Amino acid sequence: MINPYEVLGVKEGTSKEDIKKAYRELAKKYHPDQYSDNPLKDLAEVKMRELNEAYDSLMKNNNSSSNGSYSNGSSNSYNSQSNYNSNSNDDYASNNIYQSVRMDLNSGNIPSAEQKLSSMNTKTAEWNFLMGMVHLKKGWHDSAYSFISRACSQEPNNIEYRRSFNELNNRTSNYRDNYYGRRGNDSGMGNLCLNLWCADTICECLGGDLISCC
Amino acid sequence: MFGYVTPCKMEMKIKDYEKFKAYYCGLCNSIKSNFGNLPRLTLNYDMTFLAILLDALCENKYNFNRFKCLIHPLKKRIMINNNEALDYAAFCNITLAYYKLMDDVYDNKTIKSKVFSVFLKGYLLKSEKTYTKRSYIDVIDYTKEKLLLLNTLEASHKDMGIDEHLSIDELSHVFADLTGFIISFYYKDAAFKDDLYWLGYNLGKWIYVIDAYDDLEKDIKSGSFNAINSLLNTDKLDFKNFSKCIKPRIDFLLATCAAQCLKHLNKLPLIKNENILYNILELGLMEKMDKVLNKDSNTYNLKGVEYKDDKSL
Repeated sequence: MINPYEVLGVKEGTSKEDIKKAYRELAKKYHPDQYSDNPLKDLAEVKMRELNEAYDSLMKNNNSSSNGSYSNGSSNSYNSQSNYNSNSNDDYASNNIYQSVRMDLNSGNIPSAEQKLSSMNTKTAEWNFLMGMVHLKKGWHDSAYSFISRACSQEPNNIEYRRSFNELNNRTSNYRDNYYGRRGNDSGMGNLCLNLWCADTICECLGGDLISCC
Repeated sequence: MFGYVTPCKMEMKIKDYEKFKAYYCGLCNSIKSNFGNLPRLTLNYDMTFLAILLDALCENKYNFNRFKCLIHPLKKRIMINNNEALDYAAFCNITLAYYKLMDDVYDNKTIKSKVFSVFLKGYLLKSEKTYTKRSYIDVIDYTKEKLLLLNTLEASHKDMGIDEHLSIDELSHVFADLTGFIISFYYKDAAFKDDLYWLGYNLGKWIYVIDAYDDLEKDIKSGSFNAINSLLNTDKLDFKNFSKCIKPRIDFLLATCAAQCLKHLNKLPLIKNENILYNILELGLMEKMDKVLNKDSNTYNLKGVEYKDDKSL
């Protein structure tokens, strides 16, 4: 097995954050999407695989042994690691799609975003959230609402989903207030006058007068 | 399906109300002079809104005219005439009314709609000659295509039964898109075309959904097609129970559409009619929603009821 620290170009014992940072930079550099019509594509794919393996093994190591040194990362865990790798490769691929979907959403390329999402099989919270965003942009508010609320129930602690869901609910309240606000005021005025008139009448019955002119 | 987009009269200034009536009479008159007397029966408020909106974006001045109306012979009335937006609205009014009637003929085959559609067809064909040079023929084709599509979707859905795959958004999209097309077609080369389209899209969806909800009780009783009932009533509940559980969802959808209409209206470079348009989209739509969704207390059918009550139009 190649030394994962070498692959990522960091020193042994580097903190988790720095490993992540190094991984992200290298992943950007070697990502096969950038070499689509390039003879280097195969090489980039190999590099990317190495990078993913190295990253996963380090992250796993860091989790299992708190001292974070590579010497503990023994080869007996290699089998389970390779399993783990194939899993997280899937995760990685879908994360990449989500990333490009977000980019499509930002640039307004809704059909492409929708196509990418509907070609996926796994429907995670993020998938539901992004699909909701796509439908929102299309003006399909009813289905957007159900997608985003599904994302919220799948990951109740995610701030992003929760915020969009609340936004959706609050969206109409200003609009409603404008109508009900006016209506409410009107009836309030009427009630005030009526109350005054009643009070005046009662006072007059008892011989006094609250409003002298009537 | 028509007659839901009306102003909230109680919150309107008298001058705006008079202007609205002048547009309404102008539309009626434009239908008369472009198509004939019989098609005037299809006149509706939604198309008055269309005329007011499209005219608001154009710089020419109001052309008021006093006239005597045959239906209301006692008082002199004011109308707006020689106005291209009104002519376009008149044309859309007839086109939509005709294809809607064709649907009805196809659906329930009543004699009334059949006879009427035959008459209307003659008028529409006659007008095609006058309008072709302004390429309004595109609108006719588009309307025909979309309403046919809507009809097939609704019909095929009836056979399929409850189908998870077709959502209310998907079904209403067809009519919403048609409305967006009709509204934005008039200014198809302008920079604000997209805003017009989205205003129309949301308004069309609003109309489709509120119409379905308004007819829900009647349709459940008679067993005829209703978008909300066939798409969302998976447990085949009766009206009372179903409306109770579906109301918040419909309410959300309608209010969102209406709020979106207002948002896109804000982006348009309006030159006149601002107060009328804001009144309709801000308060008029809410008022209708309030009445349709809380119908239990007032049971009559709502289309244009306010105006019939006080005989003002």
